[in-house]
Amino acid sequence: MSETRETLPAQKAWMSVAQKVGIPLASVVLAIIVGSVIMWTSGYDPVAAFAALFKGSFGGPKQIGDTLLRSTPLILTGLALAYGFRANLFNIGAEGQLFMGGLAVAWLGVAVTGLPWIIMVPMLLLASMLAGAAWAFVPAILKARVGAHEVITTMMFSYIARYIVSWLVVGPLKAPGQIPQTVALPTGAQLPRIQTLFGESTLDALPFLNLGRTHLGIVVALVAALFVWFILKYTTLGYENRAVGFNPWASETGGISVQWTTVKALCISGAFAGLAGAVEVMGVHYRIFDQFSSGFGFTGIAVALLAKNHPLGVIPAAILFGGLTAGAGTMQLEAGVPQKIILIIQALVIFFVAAEEIFKWFIKRRQKEALSHAG
Amino acid sequence: MPVLELREITKIFPGVVANDRVSLELERGEIVALLGENGAGKSTLMNVVYGLMSSDGGQILVNGEMVKIKSPRQAIDLGIGMVHQHFMLVEPLTVTENIILGREPGRLGVIDFATARQKVQEISARYGLKVDPDAKIMDLSVGMQQRVEILKALYQGASVLILDEPTAVLTPQEVKELFRVVRSLVDEGLSVVFITHKLEEVMSVSDRIVVMRDGKVVGETKPSETDDVGLARMMVGRDVVLSVEKGPSTCGAQVLEVTDLEVRDDRGLEAVRGVSFTVCGGEVVALAGVSGNGQSELVEAIVGLRRPSSGSLQLKGLDITHASARASIEAGVSHIPEDRHRRGLVLEFDLAENLILGDHRLPPFASHGIMHPSAIAGVAERRIEDYDVRTPSWHVLASNLSGGNQQKVVVAREIGRNPELLVAAQPTRGLDVGSIEFVHKQILAERENGKAVLLVSLELEEVLSLADRILVIFEGRIVQEFTVDEVDEETLGYYMTGGGGSKLDGEAEHVEMTEGDS
Amino acid sequence: MLGDIITPDLFASALRMATPLALAAIGGTICERSGVVNIALEGMMLVGAFFGTVITLATGNAWLGIIAAVVSGVAVSAIHAFASINLRSDQVVSGTAINILALGVTGFMMERLYGHPGTTDPTGTLGPVFKFAMSDDGFFGTIWNWINGIFLSHTPIVYMAIIIAIVAQWAMFRTRWGLHLRALGEHPRAVDTVGVSVIRGRWIAVLMSGGLAGLAGANLTLEQVGSFTENMTNGRGFIALAANIFGHWTPVGSYLASLLFGFADALQIKLQIFRGEINIPPQFFLMLPYVLTVVVLAGVIGRAVGPAAVGKPYEKE
Repeated sequence: MSETRETLPAQKAWMSVAQKVGIPLASVVLAIIVGSVIMWTSGYDPVAAFAALFKGSFGGPKQIGDTLLRSTPLILTGLALAYGFRANLFNIGAEGQLFMGGLAVAWLGVAVTGLPWIIMVPMLLLASMLAGAAWAFVPAILKARVGAHEVITTMMFSYIARYIVSWLVVGPLKAPGQIPQTVALPTGAQLPRIQTLFGESTLDALPFLNLGRTHLGIVVALVAALFVWFILKYTTLGYENRAVGFNPWASETGGISVQWTTVKALCISGAFAGLAGAVEVMGVHYRIFDQFSSGFGFTGIAVALLAKNHPLGVIPAAILFGGLTAGAGTMQLEAGVPQKIILIIQALVIFFVAAEEIFKWFIKRRQKEALSHAG
Repeated sequence: MPVLELREITKIFPGVVANDRVSLELERGEIVALLGENGAGKSTLMNVVYGLMSSDGGQILVNGEMVKIKSPRQAIDLGIGMVHQHFMLVEPLTVTENIILGREPGRLGVIDFATARQKVQEISARYGLKVDPDAKIMDLSVGMQQRVEILKALYQGASVLILDEPTAVLTPQEVKELFRVVRSLVDEGLSVVFITHKLEEVMSVSDRIVVMRDGKVVGETKPSETDDVGLARMMVGRDVVLSVEKGPSTCGAQVLEVTDLEVRDDRGLEAVRGVSFTVCGGEVVALAGVSGNGQSELVEAIVGLRRPSSGSLQLKGLDITHASARASIEAGVSHIPEDRHRRGLVLEFDLAENLILGDHRLPPFASHGIMHPSAIAGVAERRIEDYDVRTPSWHVLASNLSGGNQQKVVVAREIGRNPELLVAAQPTRGLDVGSIEFVHKQILAERENGKAVLLVSLELEEVLSLADRILVIFEGRIVQEFTVDEVDEETLGYYMTGGGGSKLDGEAEHVEMTEGDS
Repeated sequence: MLGDIITPDLFASALRMATPLALAAIGGTICERSGVVNIALEGMMLVGAFFGTVITLATGNAWLGIIAAVVSGVAVSAIHAFASINLRSDQVVSGTAINILALGVTGFMMERLYGHPGTTDPTGTLGPVFKFAMSDDGFFGTIWNWINGIFLSHTPIVYMAIIIAIVAQWAMFRTRWGLHLRALGEHPRAVDTVGVSVIRGRWIAVLMSGGLAGLAGANLTLEQVGSFTENMTNGRGFIALAANIFGHWTPVGSYLASLLFGFADALQIKLQIFRGEINIPPQFFLMLPYVLTVVVLAGVIGRAVGPAAVGKPYEKE
């Protein structure tokens, strides 16, 4: 008996990992195939396009650096979406919380002076999480109290956030000059590039550390992923989050407050989206302006879904989409394919991951055929 | 020539043979009872006949002709009608709209509602099934809804009527009325297949009895040629003890005291109207009543899922009137909910996670918000062993267990917590005989341990075999109280339907009348 | 100044602004009544707006453009129908995929066809259906001018939307299609057991919502703006969903709720003209429809109950 108890779970775990990884991988492959067909019918060369895309995203340390640069906010928005999904909440407006997180950092980073880097940076990161959580708070309360669907409310809040930022960067927070943007953060409030942390000799010895524009935010993102993984697996907060996501009625019977858990889940989701805004401001642009996010909040949806809402799965999923974004420029330059094809591939990935039934149906059909041949 | 004949019907689900070469004949004007435990394959067989499932083998003959039934539409066209266990009625639509659904009178897609109403009234008059054609389904009683279902089948031109567990939700009086209706349908030339797992019903209504077990027909008999015990043996495959042995009640200290409790339902209407009673340690108190008379709201108030609007609740002297579900659990109230899939389990969680739901914040399972997996696993393994949950390990998801084993998980958690008060709402609904016996034993064991048990059940047999005292609830009031040895099913049924003279009684009858008149 | 703000053209503008929302909202109503959530209205509208413009630019005929918009909306909705009905995908996720797909496809095709991102060449806009003269005949003249200005100054799709709202309302409660539709979203198995196909009923509803969203897109480009700009729908699909809820899942209710949002939009545009005098940044006016949507949802939801089976894939046993 004890023997079966030990082996069976191990086997099961392996099978479930295979299934969890298999379907997302198949979805990506299918999306690339369909994307290629679209390119080919539009008169482009898909092979050349994907070759250029790969070159632009993984072709060398600088390109890998660019991919990681794009992956950094995607890991965080992916975590935001995944944490929400685990409570059966769809934080489609993560983009808005990202804007508010970025705004908080861009403002505080300039307004607060005289603090050492080691205090300033954690404080700013925390502030961005609070700002993101705050921006998710009203939709969260509306969801918990009156059942207003978070897909509509967070979306509306995301438009409102963009207008607020767009007003501030031409109005009260505008930096001197023609361009509508805020004043740049001082070095003491920035996330430095990875390669600047090492000496010349170390970089020569370990050339893979030449990661171009990749900044310390990637470490923040990886720590965040581990943190979310721990919350979901080993804390009562995570247990309650998952219980409510699966079955709110049974959770309520088990003494879990569904409303409070909903509020916490959406605010925590918002906090990670806010953090994504912070790493963009502190590590890339050093200021906020209208277009400082290229839809990271929305791409986070695809990241979370591809990761099947697993916080560690978010990392490779984010690197995939980060790579697509990073290589898109090279692809347009060398193969002439419009960058928008990336959005199409992203949509296809979501579509195929969600349509898990396609694969199950296919397997079932095979089994049925086998059965009917046997009979 | 039989109106319906099934020859060697076989239906296979992954891992289970639900119907194994089942044959059945139904003559014109005959009532055949299809008897079997939950999971014996009765409903599957009838779903095949009604075109909801495809069979993996066998033949169906209607009036001697071989037919292939691939959809309900075809079944309806062949004159087969079915009243499902869970009603197929659209709640916000009217009676007429529900009855004509799929066969609407009218031209060019525009419904002729006048004709529709008229037709409904015609059929309703012809079979003596009075109903208000303009009432919305959600405003009707369960008995009335069933009537609409029968009318729907008749409107569609059914000559064979399949009734799937039709009495599960009815009061003894409504059951009598249903039997009268079934008799009159048969007199009009219809044939009826009556699916049930209740022995007495079979004896009183059917002309012929077909018994199924584990997907096979295991016997066929007539009410005049058998008795309860013989049927039970055929159905279960072994001798069953039809009554539960229990010692005399040892009423100890008072555990639960309910005083003048008033509770509102989801629509804000008063569902519990001033209820007072007590439950003491070592005693099973049963709440008997027709579904929808305030039991659910009362239970929800006691376990902290619903705030009472007035009155008080005391648990061993502690005021729990406004306790949350969490506070209520921590005060010592356990709850076996009436719907285990909705309220009892998180089906996507594994057994260990389910076995700690409600205790998941407390040591030894967690401290300072961090969970302790090894402690959780240890307790899970012990409870699975103690409560005989049939599973290879606690890693299995709750959704992969059978209904009986799922209920054992709920019982293991709620009793394993060692509560002061156990509130068991319909704890054996939909279970097989073995599991029912097990759950009953556990409830009585709590009683022996000096714990208080409040049992809510629609099954009067269960109430009479487990309870020490019985409270009859009608329209949110406790209208009568009995000790178990001074009452029988008939009397309970009488009080459950307002026979005891609730103040609202006259009003309720008045409503029934106007519904019938229009 | 109030007299300058409250003029016939403010209300006329409200009707105009309400039109794309109302068409999409009615589409949402039909779709949700059948039991399928459609958050892809946004994307379907965008695709309709784009192909309406493309065909109009290619043929010079705006009516062909309108047809293309409807057809392309239907085509995109077929993806949603297949995913959510046949493959039983999560309907909200499928809708999200379509919204992103719509952004990608319109952007990609734009560069492929016109060689640049951003905005297409102008198509011109369809003119009003009626052309009645203004009157200067004192009191009655003023009344006539108001009626003429508010109700008789519109382009074809504005009137189509009103007719569609009324016809859809009638059909939903008086026809066989409507009865099946209302039953589908509440209790699909009940519909199945009386021999009516759930799959077919839901497919038709989703395709209709796609057509209506496409028409809404055509109204945006061919009647209001006169050209296509990437992502020009700007959340209207989501606001339309809110209008559908506010209108209690009925076509006429959806239309009336859309009028409220249309009025908010018209008002903010109008107020921007007086920016100098009011001295409030324009972004705050632009926010107005989004804020209003949240306020409306917060106020109405508890009391508005949607179809019981909405969002749940139907599976035969």
